[in-house]
Amino acid sequence: MITGGGATGAGLVGIGLRAPHTAEIIAARPPVGWLEVHTENYLGGGPAPRTLDRIRREHALSLHGVGLSLGSAEGLDRAHLARVADLARRVEPVLVSEHLSWSIAGGAYLNHLLPLPYTEESLVLVAGHVTEAQEALGRPLLVENPSSYLRFRHSPIPEPDFLAELARRTGCSLLCDVNNVFVSCRNFDRDPAAYLDGLPASAIGEIHLAGHARNEADGRIVLVDDHGSPVSDEVWTLYARALGRFGPRPTLIEWDTDIPALSVLLGEARRAEAAIARSVAAGGPRALAA
Amino acid sequence: MPSLREIERDLRLALLGGDDAPARAAVRGDGLGPGARLAIYRHHVVTTLTAALQATFPVVCRLVDERFFAYAADRYIQVEPPAGPCLFEYGAGFADFLAEFPPCRSVPYLADVARLEWAMQRALHAPDAPPLPIRTIQGVAPELAASLTLTLDPSMSLLRSRYPIDRIWRANRPDVPEPPLVDLAAGEAWLEVRRHGDDVIVRALDPAAFTFRRALAGGADLAAATGEALAADPTFDLGPALVALFDDGLPIALSRTPSTPGDDPCHSQP
Repeated sequence: MITGGGATGAGLVGIGLRAPHTAEIIAARPPVGWLEVHTENYLGGGPAPRTLDRIRREHALSLHGVGLSLGSAEGLDRAHLARVADLARRVEPVLVSEHLSWSIAGGAYLNHLLPLPYTEESLVLVAGHVTEAQEALGRPLLVENPSSYLRFRHSPIPEPDFLAELARRTGCSLLCDVNNVFVSCRNFDRDPAAYLDGLPASAIGEIHLAGHARNEADGRIVLVDDHGSPVSDEVWTLYARALGRFGPRPTLIEWDTDIPALSVLLGEARRAEAAIARSVAAGGPRALAA
Repeated sequence: MPSLREIERDLRLALLGGDDAPARAAVRGDGLGPGARLAIYRHHVVTTLTAALQATFPVVCRLVDERFFAYAADRYIQVEPPAGPCLFEYGAGFADFLAEFPPCRSVPYLADVARLEWAMQRALHAPDAPPLPIRTIQGVAPELAASLTLTLDPSMSLLRSRYPIDRIWRANRPDVPEPPLVDLAAGEAWLEVRRHGDDVIVRALDPAAFTFRRALAGGADLAAATGEALAADPTFDLGPALVALFDDGLPIALSRTPSTPGDDPCHSQP
């Protein structure tokens, strides 16, 4: 469990562990609630998983996967799932998460969290895969909302409803990536606050925060979830709203491209802790009870 | 209405540089056009997989320059996309691809440098395998020793090239500011690549040791491996070669040649 002082937010906020910071984190043991790693980088032998063995002596770990491809119509890669389960047994993470997306088709891994059409067919398929993964892991999975740049013509179920129903059918928790909510809603002229209101507060087990880029395509602004800059002011505002609705939740600062000094990530983490503290002070029982 | 399997098949085709018409038919324009939306995803797929290949093959990238590398990577990604989600395992076929890629013909050693970088990548992430102590083999009766086979450390690769690829590699590492010239006629390379602790070691072997270790890695028993090494170098001496093998921590299991039926007095695990 990640437990934090509700009044200060300390302990609830983690950062993504990235290679340029690993040595500094091992040496300096900075005050950070927990660390999240990308599961697929640690599934071999050698120094990579040994680094996790060392880090978890000092820090709670979260395994964040990008490769289970829960939405693959051709089924889960069972060998990959077994490797993830082996790593989870080895490093005993406090959280294990994945994405509402697919990456594998025809045996090829496309290295992108690709969007699904939200249909009953997809829901049945993803729910089956989440259940299969949870059985292999022996624990509930957290499933993250994706950032999207396209929608399918036939996709009748709104994404928050799809996630809520997935949680209801499988018992999984939800990882609400507030930046992804913002990016996807802006890209499709939707209201991100209404999206948050559509998620079941009791199912939210983790929150992600990250920066995004503003790109231009054919004269239209497209927000791209590149994790390469500070969390934007609009996303901080949306985060405050998420805290008000969901209550304090373990929150992660993600930064994957143009990775800055560790102190910059820690500064973002302090800012999230302050937001949690403000939310608790303002929301009282409602926030705590969610 | 297409099934999910059909939609994923069509997107895969579009994202790997094929016809995007079937995928476009399933996608809403939302003010931008389905093709432009698919292009956002295709760009991410190609750039991140290219970056993964660049991380695994930094010296190949330096030898051909980044623009050409990106061009070759784009073609390679189309013909051989990753077979699984661990990107440190992506690129096993890149050296063979480069060897057959016509624009690379002017750099005849490139594919072998790629083989060396792939061997280093494999070594870094190979499964951990505790070495056997030398006493395991010292306890084997001499008449049985000839038919022993040794399982070697899975991080080890043996590479032979007609070019001095180890010197080329060292001279062109990303941290070398001004690569010195390497004489391509400096001789062929007989290299062993393996992990030792957290480090990957590349070193040159003499032809007899190379041949001996390659035969063992290929499943030959000690007698057969000794025969191959003697053919490479008549002065090969099994005793010191075995001691060196164990000193390097390479054997991880012993067994008798499968053609010998009956019980297996030497089977051993650490």
